[in-house]
Amino acid sequence: MATYFIRRMFWLFPVLLTVSLVTFIIMRSAPGGPWDTDSDRRQVDASTRKSLDAYYGLDKPLWRQFTAYVFGDINSVTKKFSCGMICGNLGPSYRQRGRTVQSILFSAPPLQSFWQSRFGYSLRLGLIALSFAIVLGIPIGVVAALKQNTLWDYIGLFIATSGISVPSFVLAIFLIIIFGSWLHWIDIIVDNWNEVKYWLMPATVLGFGTMAYTARLTRSSMLEVMRQDYVRTARSKGLAERIVIIKHMLKNALIPVVTILGPALAGLVTGSFIIETMFSFPGMGRAYVQAIGQRDYSMIMGTTMVYALLVAVANLSVDLVYVFIDPRIRFEE
Amino acid sequence: MRKLFAILSLLVVASMALAACGGGTPAATDAPAPAATDAPAPTAVRENVLRINLGTYPDVIDPQKSSYVNEIAHLKLFYEGLTKFNDKLETVPGAAESWAYNADATQLTFTLRSGLLYSDGSPLNAKRFEYAIKRNIDPATAGEYASITDEILNAPEWRAQLSPTCAAVAAAQTAYDAAKAASDAAPTDTALAEATTAAADALSAATCTEEEIAAIAASVGVKATHADGADCVVNADTGNAYDDADCNTLVLSLSKPAPYFHTIMGIWVAFPAKEENIADGGDIWWTSPVYQVGNGPFVWSIGEPFVRGIFTPNANYWGDKPSYDLEYRYIVDSAVAFEAYKNGELDIIASAAEDLPTIQADPNLSAQHMQYAGACTTLIKFGLAAKYTAPDGTTYDSPFLDKKVREAFALAFDAEGWTKDVDGGLSAATWTWIPPGFPGYDANSPLHFDPEAGKAALAASSYGGPDALNALGLKLTFGDSPRNRQRSEWIVAKYKEYLGVDIALDPIDATTFTAITKDPATFPLFARQGWCADYPDQQNWLSVYWRSDTTFAQRQGYVNTEMDALLAQADVELDPAKRADLYAQAQQLLLADIPSAFGYNSLNHYLVQPWVKGIVTTPQDSDWPGSFSVATITIDTMMP
Repeated sequence: MATYFIRRMFWLFPVLLTVSLVTFIIMRSAPGGPWDTDSDRRQVDASTRKSLDAYYGLDKPLWRQFTAYVFGDINSVTKKFSCGMICGNLGPSYRQRGRTVQSILFSAPPLQSFWQSRFGYSLRLGLIALSFAIVLGIPIGVVAALKQNTLWDYIGLFIATSGISVPSFVLAIFLIIIFGSWLHWIDIIVDNWNEVKYWLMPATVLGFGTMAYTARLTRSSMLEVMRQDYVRTARSKGLAERIVIIKHMLKNALIPVVTILGPALAGLVTGSFIIETMFSFPGMGRAYVQAIGQRDYSMIMGTTMVYALLVAVANLSVDLVYVFIDPRIRFEE
Repeated sequence: MRKLFAILSLLVVASMALAACGGGTPAATDAPAPAATDAPAPTAVRENVLRINLGTYPDVIDPQKSSYVNEIAHLKLFYEGLTKFNDKLETVPGAAESWAYNADATQLTFTLRSGLLYSDGSPLNAKRFEYAIKRNIDPATAGEYASITDEILNAPEWRAQLSPTCAAVAAAQTAYDAAKAASDAAPTDTALAEATTAAADALSAATCTEEEIAAIAASVGVKATHADGADCVVNADTGNAYDDADCNTLVLSLSKPAPYFHTIMGIWVAFPAKEENIADGGDIWWTSPVYQVGNGPFVWSIGEPFVRGIFTPNANYWGDKPSYDLEYRYIVDSAVAFEAYKNGELDIIASAAEDLPTIQADPNLSAQHMQYAGACTTLIKFGLAAKYTAPDGTTYDSPFLDKKVREAFALAFDAEGWTKDVDGGLSAATWTWIPPGFPGYDANSPLHFDPEAGKAALAASSYGGPDALNALGLKLTFGDSPRNRQRSEWIVAKYKEYLGVDIALDPIDATTFTAITKDPATFPLFARQGWCADYPDQQNWLSVYWRSDTTFAQRQGYVNTEMDALLAQADVELDPAKRADLYAQAQQLLLADIPSAFGYNSLNHYLVQPWVKGIVTTPQDSDWPGSFSVATITIDTMMP
């Protein structure tokens, strides 16, 4: 297993390099640049543009800009070598002047903990949303399968279908209107994100889609497993129904569910533009989308790389978890 | 099952713990929590706080680097320039009590108010403004609005780090002049032509030495002095002259007469951020209220990025002080902001187009709806310089080079219909350039909506009617979005209806559209663009935008030498009445030349809670209503 793990870890490097190259090519193929302002306002003049290009290395050939970002380069203004992404340096933001991408994403305001950084907020929200999805999604799927074609099944299917088909921004505004405007249970304007109650709505909305997908997948997996011979055997040898469900059915039915939970976790913890916008949540999803519109190249690259790393690690985690939930799976040595 | 239940319970508990992570730390620690300015009376039903939704959180809150409305909305709360604008958008004294130009308006002298203080109680003298203005010019700052102070002597040279007086540049210039003269004398000589090209390359590559750049920087026309012209006294301990109380005069030497320059000194680029705070805070000094010590009516007390900013009255402000605390919120989604407003959680929000019908249908909300003229004019600009491609693959010059075609398309643009059908009342039709409320606004225009006259003009053009134009395959290029698609479809349908001209829709990515409009070679046939004022002066509307040597005119390919001459005269005219008259003539020339279909002015739409009183608006208040007159606003804390 250790060999497998190390080998997979080494594979991360070419994967991340490829992701960074593809992102760089797509990003730089789009017209415009970070100094292009709206056409109805004063434009950045040629001298300032030249100074900014020199400072941020945009005056160099594209291939060198890429290698500078990944491996590092000598800054033409400061004349100092600055190590690139391989040293954990995600570069300076072009729009939030003076700030680095890693400080924007991972640094909390003074005297606050990592959890108050933009990534920290998104990570917390994503984990809560995933917990919500698992805690509700799996039981709903199990109950729906066990009570197939009954009212319970239809309720479960209704919830699952709603979760998949209702866009998160619609659900968000519905919840805001119901719980904020009508019932006045919560404030729409959040004063303090340290209070648990403010996390409930964004986490519910963020996790609702994943919960629905989890419920549907659990239901269909359970239905498939329920008809297997080994389940019939388990029942015929007189095992308690509880044991049959948990040990023989659920454990096998969860394999495809675990497969989707890895990427889902990466998707949830890296932030959601819509949820963060609707709830004015100070996470990193909003920063990512804003950076694309502003052509904040290093911010786009940096956030994409964080996302890619999380997806890769999540997939690796899923592969490792397989062995625990399915004894038939073995790592090749 | 018990194990499963235990796992699920653990997940729920872990979720709650995650949400509360770091809960023991304060929400914001940059500064102590603000104390209410006026202690609320016992029966007060609300706090004495003005809560405004600003929308997007700023990218950078640095006076010499900021450029967007939401950034400036912060800066103008806790800084003030040498001048400021009143409710009629007239330039009035700010930190300076007076100013005067020399005889030919090439020198501008400000006299600061006595006893000016920063919010932390430290003195504010002219040396602080000298630092701020020089920092704006400094190429190391590279602010996006750096060029706005280019009238200052040697400012463009310092920014470009290039001057014709530098030895290498002068030598390269001499060599180029000689090569060009020789080439011009013998135009068929290819060797001389190549030598001229080489000399031109050498000239563009010529640079100044570091010593020469330092000399240029030192000679920039910004100098703080005593009233008698004596140098400000440097404190031996601090190494600067920031505590010299007699250093109250700021002299700006200008490279050309600029009788409007005192107005520019009222905008954010001249706000006096403290040098030592910028040095102590490093590149990210602007992120912390600790370093944002200013001279404006408020103090930035608490900053929670993307959540809220809280501002308290500055006890050391020289003028009328606000009577309330102010809170900015950064809610981007207008539907959420609208719900929060209706819930009484916000006092001022911008009303979105989609909410207007709801507002108008509700008697309470419509009474709280505030609408006033904005600071932008948007046009349908005609591409004049680029080449365009017909369906058969041939290229053609812009049909708008024919003035009759321009006239036809301008007269057939139903500006009133646009504001009703397309903008839903969010804009106001205009047939002139400078919008209402700004100096130089002139409602008289030779243009108006007259489709029959438009049709006649097209018939009288070199194209003789719509058929010849239709053969060219005209395209309306636009940045694709549902809103822009609706706008473009309307324009195309109306031109078809009124002129019989077929125009194909050409949607492209929004950023791509912006990019192609910045290159004269790719400027589209039609471009819906405009201008929003930097500062309230005709020079900013006409000379900055329409003179043939400006970026905007060049991109479109617009040249009007007669108007250029008038603007050149107006820009240096000292007599305000004559100056205004020259600009008025120039504007009429512009309208008569029809470089665009004149479209609409922006309107500002806000919802303001009834307990917010005393708001005075100007067209320049595009951040929130009353932002230029914060002292007149009061909060009725008793009103339920």
